[in-house]
Amino acid sequence: MAGYDIITLEENCTGCLRCQLACSYLYTGLFNPSAARIQVRFSGTGCAIDFTDECNHCGVCADSCFYDALKKVKREDDE
Amino acid sequence: MQGGFAGRILHVDLSRRKVGTWPLASNLAESFIGGLGLSFRLAHDYITPGTDPLAPENPVVIGAGPLVGTDLPSTSRIYAVTKLPTSGTIGWCGAGGVTFGCLFKNAGYDHLIIEGRADRPVYLNIVDDRVEILDAQKLWGKGVSETCETLWDEVSGPAGVLAIGPAGENRVSFSLAYIDRSATMGRGGFGAVLGAKNLKAIMVRGTKGVGVADRKTYKRLKTDFLQTIQSYPYLKEWQDMGMLKAFPMVPPETYKKIKKRRLACISCPVGCKDVVEIADGPHKGLVAYSSSAINLLTPLMYGFKDYRDAVKLIAELDEYGMDMFEFFGVAALAAKLGEHGSIQGINIALDDLNAMMEWAEKISFRKGLGDVMADGFSGMINAYGDAAKTYAPALVKNMHPYTGPGSALPWDLFGTMELGQILDLRGPHVGSGGSPTYFAKRPLEVFPKHLKRMGVPEAAISRILPESDESKQLNVGILLKYSHQWFSILGSLGVCARGQINRFYNAGLCADFYKAVTGIPTDLDELSLRADRVWNLYKLLNVREGVDRSRESIPDQWVQAPGFKEYVSETPISRDEILRMIKDYYREQGWDFETGYPSPETLSRLGLESLG
Ligand code: SF4
Ligand code: SF4
Ligand code: SF4
Repeated sequence: MAGYDIITLEENCTGCLRCQLACSYLYTGLFNPSAARIQVRFSGTGCAIDFTDECNHCGVCADSCFYDALKKVKREDDE
Repeated sequence: MQGGFAGRILHVDLSRRKVGTWPLASNLAESFIGGLGLSFRLAHDYITPGTDPLAPENPVVIGAGPLVGTDLPSTSRIYAVTKLPTSGTIGWCGAGGVTFGCLFKNAGYDHLIIEGRADRPVYLNIVDDRVEILDAQKLWGKGVSETCETLWDEVSGPAGVLAIGPAGENRVSFSLAYIDRSATMGRGGFGAVLGAKNLKAIMVRGTKGVGVADRKTYKRLKTDFLQTIQSYPYLKEWQDMGMLKAFPMVPPETYKKIKKRRLACISCPVGCKDVVEIADGPHKGLVAYSSSAINLLTPLMYGFKDYRDAVKLIAELDEYGMDMFEFFGVAALAAKLGEHGSIQGINIALDDLNAMMEWAEKISFRKGLGDVMADGFSGMINAYGDAAKTYAPALVKNMHPYTGPGSALPWDLFGTMELGQILDLRGPHVGSGGSPTYFAKRPLEVFPKHLKRMGVPEAAISRILPESDESKQLNVGILLKYSHQWFSILGSLGVCARGQINRFYNAGLCADFYKAVTGIPTDLDELSLRADRVWNLYKLLNVREGVDRSRESIPDQWVQAPGFKEYVSETPISRDEILRMIKDYYREQGWDFETGYPSPETLSRLGLESLG
């Protein structure tokens, strides 16, 4: 299955949650940030972006990010 | 309901400590679009005419429109409708909802109606169907950030928080509410309305999801739309600089020194909010969250010399939860009364950090003269009579407009925002309604493009831009009518009205998005009609309160040198010209200029007879 590694650049993240909206809509049919396989968390001025075990590396979250906080890199074993 | 709407209204009675929900009637949703419009409609049922804004009987209706929670760009907006203490009128309060609106919809609600007054400080904790009224004793007296952080620390996962600071608790007439500590809501004393209810905060979490009725059309429309935004040549600049792009109050290097992170409301590709950290000097390490860095720098306009002191003061005002324009305006008035001997023994240095910090505290906690200043300009005029009237700046509905003579922003052309200060029933605010006259002076040639985008009919465009032999003209009164219509569309859908994002939207596309998301058949004409209905109901709500044309008086300072200037010719504007604009506005709305009421024909066209 095609797949990407998602590189996170947390310093660019604005917390817009477009990634969580996109992931949840794709896999649950509803916009539901809590159901996304990517979770963005802010603490103080910092930000942490994590993926759940269910993430299948489809890259849709990265496509929906406007701020260059997520970059997708094609996995080598897909060649 | 098929999509967009959660389909439920949450009702909280703080006096009886009762919580209930009921279904949102689909015919109401259709008639009033949602969000702002539906909030007016619910307010019509819940507000008893003549209610004191700070009495338990004054309800607060909060709404998130049908697009809120989707991934359409900047559909984050939330609105509250209530009777506001400063103007005494029924007004709307709006905020880029950060995460609040989306999570509220995900909890399964479109609207929240709050009534009564808790017998001690409380906060609302909403987690899907579980709604609790919890003790807020530990939060009372805390600043806005501290309140948000305390609540966030108690839960895992994202939570939207609407909170007030000590200024709201102590019913300061220019206190605000804040969303997720960075968005401000409700100039005119919304903070005080919540404070009078003993309601410190609302925290919301939700996991139900927001659906779309017609997924195929939604995808097609959205893909094209996102591409338009992606290819906008200034997008990167907006993302990097935020509002400083439009108002370069400090050099970019200075901003870069303090810029920590840019923040965006949910779904927003522009992201105008800021986290800054002072890098050096006595306030080194101070972190401030703001609706925009330009807010943090506003004290520079009042004479502050050091931008770091400016940030320090505004961060403090945001903790107290009060409006900076009104704070500076009232402080400037007190300073003048001190100079001229009406107030003995005070010294208010508007350009001094320590002095202003002290006054911020005195006002928030109503200490000494701060108790009078906390009641705003009307409090000062009550206390000091004619002397206060003499030295007060231009006032509209007891508030200090952002622009114009003696205001913070050095903008003196008279466009829709300026006329709107008088004609929006809530009083002065910064909403533009998406009109092209907002701040930057644009050539009239570009107006037709913007007007079409806002859904202005062709026939009205020629009335807004009449051709005469000598010169091109602009009819600001008629333009304002359509700005209010455009604002009603955006507000009712839940799209952010800020210029940097609404520039991408157009009214036809809004109708298409609304139809795709909700499944309610809608075209441009229908959406425009419903938006007119929304703004007319807003008028009716206030007519019912006895708010008449006497509340639309034109401040003398506006028409005396240095005064406002006509938008096109840039010649000084006269009272008669402004009066003509008001008449043009009334005529275009179908309102009677003499009585101030919407005409029977207008009410019947909009199907509002039974609410008039
Ligand atoms: S879409 Fe990008 S900027 Fe927005 S929250 Fe996700 S990672 Fe952050
Ligand atoms: S890569 Fe795909 S599955 Fe994983 S978080 Fe992103 S959108 Fe979701
Ligand atoms: S433009 Fe600013 S206020 Fe509007 S949605 Fe985006 S971040 Fe929020």
